[in-house]
Amino acid sequence: MPGLLYKNFRINRSSFVFSLITAGLCGITAVLLAVFMGGGDSIKDSSGAGSVSLVFGLLYYLAFMLPAMTTSMLFEADENKTCCAFAMSVPQGGKGHVESKYWYILTDNLVVLFVLFISDTAASCIFGGKVSSSLTLVLLFCWRLLLNAVEIPFIIRFGSQKGIAIKGAVVGLIFLAAGIYFLFGDISWLINADDPAAAFIEWLSGGDVIFWAGLFPFFSAAAYRVSCIISVKLFRKGAENYEQ
Amino acid sequence: MSNKKLTIKRLGIFLGISFVPFCIIIPVMWACFGEPIYTSTDPGVMTAVYALGVSGMMIPSAANLITRLVTKEGFGNSYLGVNLKGRTGWWIASAAVKLAENAIIMVLMWALFLGGMSFSDTFVSPGMPVWGLFLLQLAGSLILFFPAFGEEWGWRGYMMPKLMEIMPKPAAIITGGIIWGLWHAPLTVAGHNFGTDYPGYPFVGIGLMCLMCVAMNAFLTLLTEKTKSIYPAAFCHSVNNNLSTGVLASIFCTETAAAKIAGLPPVTSFLPYLAIMAVTAAVSMILLLKKPKNAETE
Repeated sequence: MPGLLYKNFRINRSSFVFSLITAGLCGITAVLLAVFMGGGDSIKDSSGAGSVSLVFGLLYYLAFMLPAMTTSMLFEADENKTCCAFAMSVPQGGKGHVESKYWYILTDNLVVLFVLFISDTAASCIFGGKVSSSLTLVLLFCWRLLLNAVEIPFIIRFGSQKGIAIKGAVVGLIFLAAGIYFLFGDISWLINADDPAAAFIEWLSGGDVIFWAGLFPFFSAAAYRVSCIISVKLFRKGAENYEQ
Repeated sequence: MSNKKLTIKRLGIFLGISFVPFCIIIPVMWACFGEPIYTSTDPGVMTAVYALGVSGMMIPSAANLITRLVTKEGFGNSYLGVNLKGRTGWWIASAAVKLAENAIIMVLMWALFLGGMSFSDTFVSPGMPVWGLFLLQLAGSLILFFPAFGEEWGWRGYMMPKLMEIMPKPAAIITGGIIWGLWHAPLTVAGHNFGTDYPGYPFVGIGLMCLMCVAMNAFLTLLTEKTKSIYPAAFCHSVNNNLSTGVLASIFCTETAAAKIAGLPPVTSFLPYLAIMAVTAAVSMILLLKKPKNAETE
């Protein structure tokens, strides 16, 4: 497995560096924001902290999601019959080949999480501990894992192009559902609030929403594992469709 | 140089690099802020202490890395592999044992210190929001995994294998735990975990910390040795730090009970914690000394 993982890092060095740079830039931006906002003195109440948390959340979302666009590149390089035949001939076989991809993506995610954790700790210190987005980071990390869990089996079975399209459709559907809720659902708590950002944070942390939010990391971890098992099963069938 | 001498030399270098930073930083910070830094209520000092905690936990890992490079040891036995196959049970145990310990500690706290309150007055009925908060807090352990890994890769990934090379396992567990506890000594003197207002300050605090580290070291070493990987121990450490008694009390206890638990002297509230960990340590020691089945048949 270490050999296969090394191979993945070698052939995807550019996308790994891209992940690092994106995470680094977003992290530095968060720290600079904290510095320019004047640190903890600028936050007078919880609504101010809520607004800063939302801005940080958006930055961290970018840091996780921009590199996620390069996931398909990891598979594109191996999308031909010669590579697949070679992968199946090594002792780890197709299973090792597919699992190494999952380990690579997990490692890549963890590296992004680590970089953002360091910058969030620095930003939190500058704000005197009034703002911390560590839980947001965990949820975003799990969100990306879930997206990868949905995307990879399709990439393996139908190729990277179709995989991207299906991931786009899933993300689109989720955003569409959220959009429909915010257009037609009962959001009086948000519209009538003095500070919508703080009201949104309060909504997230109250009632049953928090239970599902708490369950989400475990669900996405399980989904990632199940996705890996499915992908291993689909690999041979997917390889038959590849061009020479 | 014989193997044993080389191991002792490497261990010496590792421990030197691990111990020096705190021995310098803590007195300097204490002098700068003019008070024991862990008891301060000043937001600036608390922020500095948080940053120190996160970065300080990385020191043993840095020491491991530097020692391996300086002594040209290489990374052959670095425990950085995952080794999940056939060892999933130990991975699950890394979090499950800590969660079970915490549940027993909460009940012990109620029985020992909140005897005047009924069970229903102490604990809230666990509905969806309560479980949600708990699950989120547990998931938050993922973010604390990084500093925990920082400590574990040094102590369990480097120090313990070296100690087990030069002495029997039980002696290595006790020695390793005491070294780990003494590494915390500058922090304990500065008020970490116990504050500064307790009888026998700071020696009782340092002693308790050493006892806790010996107990915890047994289970963490067991996890590391059984999985030949440092990650379960790191995850267990992060769950331990993330789900402290105070945090659990704020989730599962009523406001009155949580306030009572928070108001207990730290040394007193530490004792049930230590008792439960001692039980885990004893079981871990037995499992660690037990020969594997395939070794018996050979």
